Amino acid sequence: MSAVLHAHPESGPTLGVAETGKPRRVLSEAGHRGKWWRFTAILAITAIVLVPILVTVVLALTPAPNSTATGLTFENITNVFSKTLAGTWLQNSLITTLSTVAVSVAVAAPAGYVLSRGRSKAVSGYSLLLFVMQSLPIITSVVPLFILFAAMGLVDNLLGLTIIYVGSTMTVATWMMAAYFDSIPVSLEEASWIDGCSVFGSFTKVVLRNSLPGILSTAIFAFLLAWNDYLVAIVFLRSNEIFTLPMGVQSFFQQNNTDWSGVMALAVVMMLPPIIVFATLNKYFSVGGIGGSLAGR
Amino acid sequence: MSSTTAQSGLARARRGLAPGGPGAGPSNNNPNRKSKLSAQASRTFFWLLLPSVVLLVLIHGYPLFQAGIQATHDGNLIQTGNFVGAENFAAVLSSPAFWKAAQFTLWFTIVGVFGSWLVGLGLALLLRTKIPAGGTFKVLLLLPWVVPIVVSSTAWNWLVATPDSLIPSLFRNLGLGTPLFLADPSLAAVTVMVFKVWVSFPFMMMMISAALASVDTTVYEAASMDGATRFQQFSQITLPLIARSTYISWILMTIFCVNDFPTIYLLTGGGPVDATTSLVVLAYRTVFQDFATGPGVAIAFLMTLTLVVVSVLLYRQIRKSSVE
Repeated sequence: MSAVLHAHPESGPTLGVAETGKPRRVLSEAGHRGKWWRFTAILAITAIVLVPILVTVVLALTPAPNSTATGLTFENITNVFSKTLAGTWLQNSLITTLSTVAVSVAVAAPAGYVLSRGRSKAVSGYSLLLFVMQSLPIITSVVPLFILFAAMGLVDNLLGLTIIYVGSTMTVATWMMAAYFDSIPVSLEEASWIDGCSVFGSFTKVVLRNSLPGILSTAIFAFLLAWNDYLVAIVFLRSNEIFTLPMGVQSFFQQNNTDWSGVMALAVVMMLPPIIVFATLNKYFSVGGIGGSLAGR
Repeated sequence: MSSTTAQSGLARARRGLAPGGPGAGPSNNNPNRKSKLSAQASRTFFWLLLPSVVLLVLIHGYPLFQAGIQATHDGNLIQTGNFVGAENFAAVLSSPAFWKAAQFTLWFTIVGVFGSWLVGLGLALLLRTKIPAGGTFKVLLLLPWVVPIVVSSTAWNWLVATPDSLIPSLFRNLGLGTPLFLADPSLAAVTVMVFKVWVSFPFMMMMISAALASVDTTVYEAASMDGATRFQQFSQITLPLIARSTYISWILMTIFCVNDFPTIYLLTGGGPVDATTSLVVLAYRTVFQDFATGPGVAIAFLMTLTLVVVSVLLYRQIRKSSVE
């Protein structure tokens, strides 16, 4: 979907990469004052916007009310791992998320190639179908899938969760891959056909080999969707030891007395991977991918 | 617009206009080889597309079909029940809870879309000019979008949930009374909407920044030489130039808002007294708490219908824009 808009991280404007500063004509004084006024405004806004995130980090690192520690401490984080199933939840989240990423890229890349190069009515019809499917509320398919998966023993099961995540990332992921393949000149493949390469061969050896940015954008998208999902998890997961991190964090709220130090410690653990991905792969963090990614959340 | 290159190529390809491709036909200088390739291409394409089609049928097609059955039966999560025709839809459409949820969804969507757009636009314009550490701010301001909702809703809960939370205490100390952000029905609705804007404005900021980055700056110089005021420059140049991506971002955000579950459910659970129950939350509760599958799925279906219209509109807009 919106992946279409900027799915080409190298040519399209992505965030964080050099912004085209607008050279302003206004001379000296006024312009200079304006600059500092804007700087102050942005600084204030950013500070306010980040309050909830800072609060999370500060509470996670502040000693719990019953603790003897002083200053900032990692005690809450070590406690949450030793006293709850946090380790299992983290592992479950990692397993489902990474499998989702791998499978949805593996499914979306070939399909995206067909969408990009195919010319028939069927192909463009399929493209529209994917587009409509991604905008539908996930709750519609969750109920029938729940009944189907219950019969197959896939409720309260990480494999079942992964299948749904792959299904729900696949639509946008295919569009993202197609948009990226569109930017690869067909002449590259044509040259390889002349050399006797098959269509499939040229797809894997020529096209895929040149598509790392597109693959990374798609992978980031799938990663965030699976990592952040709550709706599918709350419907399909039942037992504590099968929980993923979002369910783990929420499980703290079931008692009357919320252990804020614990929940914030786990919240920090949960927000680190997306922030690390964001910080390191910022260049491939295309607007549209994220846009599409959150359609269902 | 540099950002539209890939996209217009894509849209052209969707309509079968893009040059090249194995199936492009015999217009090239080697017709024989082309048509042989074309047959091979069709076969290969079939196999490349197959996994995706299978998944689409399994995860989207089959459930949608089953949902159609459930919406017209009086069953529960265990058995299908008897066929009741449009009764579930009639029941849903005549229930006050549905219309209340629809109304909340509408307001939530309007505030979510335009609130995040206005904040995103303001920040994109502020960050457009060179300011110290502009890149850093840009990255930091994206964090609300990157951080999982489960995490941010936890933080928001800590900040506003009880009368002794940080922000209500702050209000009290300023002599503004003690607002019950999540306990007072109308204030809770506002809080959820503000939370949604907080989560979504970075998306709008990204979309608008990308559109602004591709605007040729010399236009402004020309305009200011012709005596255009700053406001005229904004309304006559900037807005029209970002109109297309604005339009697309509005429709996308509409889809995100209507489909949103965690932002609302994690902050208020749909309460107090259903004041923040949106259609998705209502559908979820009807199915998984009241175990009334038929009506629950009927609600989801009514939403689906609206969203199909919205997404077809968006699809056509994307295709149309590439013709220009």
